[in-house]
Amino acid sequence: MEEKISKLESPLKINRRHFFSQLSTGIGSLALGSLLIPDLLSGGAPKAMPNQPLGIPHFAPKAKRIIYLFQAGAPSHIETFDPKPTLIKRMGEDLPDSVRNGQRLTGMSSEQAKFPLMPSAVKYKQYGKSGAWVSDYFPHIGKVADEICFVKSMHTDAINHDPAITFFQTGTQQSGRPSMGSWMSYGLGNENKNLPNFVVLTSKGKGISQGLYSKLWSSGFLDSKHQGVLMRSSKDAVLYLNDPDGLSRSDKRHLLDHVSSLNKIHHVETGDNEIESRIAQYEMAYRMQMSVPDVMDIKKEPQHIIDLYGEDSQVPGTFAANALQARRLAEQGVRFIQLYHQGWDQHANLPNDMAGQAKDVDQASAALIMDLKQRGMLEDTLVVWGGEFGRTNYVQGESFDPKNFGRDHHPRAFSIWMAGGGIKPGISYGQTDEFGYNVVKDPVHVHDFHATIMHAMGLNHEQLTFKDQGRRFRLTDVAGNVINDILT
Amino acid sequence: MEQLYKKRWIGYLVFGLSVFLLFCLCFESYIKPPVLVSWLGRWHPLILHFPIVLLAVAVFTSFTQKKVAALLLITATLTALITAISGFLLGLDESQKGDLLFWHQWLGAGVALFAALWYWLETLNYGQHIGTKTLQIILIFLVAITGHYGGSITHGENFLDMPKDKSYAKIPDNPLIYEHIVDRILEQNCVSCHNPNKQKGELVVTSLKDLIKGGENGSSIHAGNPDKSVLLNRLYLPKEDKEHMPPEGKKQLSTTEIEIIKEWISLGASDTLRLNDLKTNQPLAKLVTKMMSPNQLEKWSVLPIVQDSTIQRLESDYVTIRRVFGNTNALSINMYTPPTYNPDLILRLNAIRNNIIELDLSGLPIEAKEIEFVASCTNLESLEIDKTAITDHDIKALNTLTKLKSLKVSETEIGDKSTAVLSNFKNLKNLFIYETNISQNGIDQLQGNNPELRIISGISEELRAAFIQTDSIKKEQ
Repeated sequence: MEEKISKLESPLKINRRHFFSQLSTGIGSLALGSLLIPDLLSGGAPKAMPNQPLGIPHFAPKAKRIIYLFQAGAPSHIETFDPKPTLIKRMGEDLPDSVRNGQRLTGMSSEQAKFPLMPSAVKYKQYGKSGAWVSDYFPHIGKVADEICFVKSMHTDAINHDPAITFFQTGTQQSGRPSMGSWMSYGLGNENKNLPNFVVLTSKGKGISQGLYSKLWSSGFLDSKHQGVLMRSSKDAVLYLNDPDGLSRSDKRHLLDHVSSLNKIHHVETGDNEIESRIAQYEMAYRMQMSVPDVMDIKKEPQHIIDLYGEDSQVPGTFAANALQARRLAEQGVRFIQLYHQGWDQHANLPNDMAGQAKDVDQASAALIMDLKQRGMLEDTLVVWGGEFGRTNYVQGESFDPKNFGRDHHPRAFSIWMAGGGIKPGISYGQTDEFGYNVVKDPVHVHDFHATIMHAMGLNHEQLTFKDQGRRFRLTDVAGNVINDILT
Repeated sequence: MEQLYKKRWIGYLVFGLSVFLLFCLCFESYIKPPVLVSWLGRWHPLILHFPIVLLAVAVFTSFTQKKVAALLLITATLTALITAISGFLLGLDESQKGDLLFWHQWLGAGVALFAALWYWLETLNYGQHIGTKTLQIILIFLVAITGHYGGSITHGENFLDMPKDKSYAKIPDNPLIYEHIVDRILEQNCVSCHNPNKQKGELVVTSLKDLIKGGENGSSIHAGNPDKSVLLNRLYLPKEDKEHMPPEGKKQLSTTEIEIIKEWISLGASDTLRLNDLKTNQPLAKLVTKMMSPNQLEKWSVLPIVQDSTIQRLESDYVTIRRVFGNTNALSINMYTPPTYNPDLILRLNAIRNNIIELDLSGLPIEAKEIEFVASCTNLESLEIDKTAITDHDIKALNTLTKLKSLKVSETEIGDKSTAVLSNFKNLKNLFIYETNISQNGIDQLQGNNPELRIISGISEELRAAFIQTDSIKKEQ
């Protein structure tokens, strides 16, 4: 059985039969292709060219970079951005079956006999000219509500953390595919060659945490140079980046040159693309030695900026410090900056824990938006805030105590917000029913979310593909519609 | 087979249908068929394909085989007659017949009657007579012309024209809103089905009078009242709705175009209103100006061509050059601080200075030479020179950048002296002057000179104070 020639193998490995069959297919495709190339300047909706060169957007982008503030653990939409007066009226009543409609339960609440409704632990206020509803947990976010587009009709398929976060990051519930940041890096290329294209910063709150895995920022089957780089908050932002004692920078340069020439010989012999990736990564690391310490040094920030983000921003490893870091990285041209803040998994003790979690992120998230805005970066930076699913409107467990209750996972409806590049400010998109359980208007699935983000970055989500295992993959897999109503 | 010609009842049938057809044509204006009968007319576009092909085959065999199969000719004739009758019934629906429809009807009737005539001649054994042959040739021409007119009715008169460049004439200065804007929109999207030759829903949109007259659903526009205007209602319906216009599958109107129609109707749907009659901040004026300004992509298509090899040559570790998207020649250039700054990295971009649309030199120690270079990039639309050592003098040098839309000069030493120069950028939409020496007076002056300009000068003091105060959520431990 002949091996199928994959794109990664060297062109020298082809055999005669394949050569001739591919030659005729190629010439035939050329002929067909001459019929297919559309006129790029035909006006109307922008269309990507069929043989789109990589590293360039398909059409004029609105956003040049993304800062994704991922709230891992899933914050309750009922306590954040989706007020539900019906829950107050019907407090303690059982969730009607007509509303629940057979939604599967997790193992944690499947034994429950009743599902008593619990209203939000805090009150809501309306903010700004747009009149956006924001809970009292997030007063700072409320103050910048006029810059934000609240999407209240998100829904997903997964009901547990690992598959759900994987779904958000890679477009499928099973691991192995490239993450969002890797796709962006693959499609848009490097803006600043001295820093990685995709940076990840993590922080943990005091609430119940679920794990984070490096598969969430892996490059899957794409070249490993598109992988996310986790920058730590301690003295060494990137492990093993610095030279060992006794090795000077020029020595390092010589070392890299020689190693790279050996690698290149190997590459010619085997045609393995990963070797090229590796050479590129060594070079990137060399440049990062100079650029990373500079970019990670938040002590250089003036006092009024530190005040804006809050005193936490001087404490490495906190969300606020990461948010400030994200702004600095964005200034230096990093394409995709992902922050994770763990601890939102409030299965119990929600009123207390959420207060702490919210305090961790509220001021810094809003400050990030204001800071980007005053530097003129908000129009080309897309900021996203959200978790992997919502939480139930009924309490988890047998006791019903408004001072100490928990909510279980809820995939059918939740809220996120977006601001900045290409997103209409000051609007709310989508609605859930009066119980906050189902989406009733303008549903946005995770695939639609991905398609919309890619559109804002100038990529056609159906065109950015990569062939692996015999078929073409893309971030949105086989679904996803761009939500034009929230794009400018 | 020829025995078929002897069958009496076929002859009677052909005769009967021909007479009925003639009766319909002669007494057209007096006929009002029952609903189910007139519904049969809707089958015309389906049945008409049969006589076209069958007659063509019949004539073909007649010329090549020197005889025609009787069954073939009979079927062709009968279907021709039924088609003509159903076509007549369909035509009854239209109250006003355009030219095309008139000719189509009569030529189509001619086809059916000539076919019947041919059948009769065949029964009399004159099939190979020179007269019958001439009849067959005339018949073929009639079928072709009738068919062509029929197709023109359904698909529009210009259907067979060579595809020509669809660019419409440039909108003149101070245009008449109805004639140059609204009529243009209707022409691009609606006239193909709503013209005198093909009046879908009995509506014609080629003149203001016809718009007001309307069609089977009444008047299409209600001057001064957009809510009552059926035309607008149909445009606003969701795309899935059956009554949404334009129909699914046809080119849809953009939101700008729909808004223009709505505003024009609410201002009285007049045909004498001009752009200059409107105030500049009226929505209609803004929409029309937006429609008149050239498409972004078209502007960039006249830039000089820049090769990928040039880009690769001029790029470096600290200078990123990329096309804004696809294969456009508009370039976006970004420079990051190198360990040792070399002005040549910027100055050698001189070769592509006319392609640079976006330029980011923030944080670099640029001096006069670099500013001179920036000033020579006349197509620049977005410039970032924040966090540099530029002064008011340098800003003055940049007044060559007439196309500038966005300018970032935050965290620099420029002051009120620059407000005059900054006011002169006519296309400037966004200005970022956070942490500069421009006073509140200077900002007010700038805003006064350019009310449309968005000036970001930092976070307002009260917002900043609100951020810094201790927040209301106490972290309970």
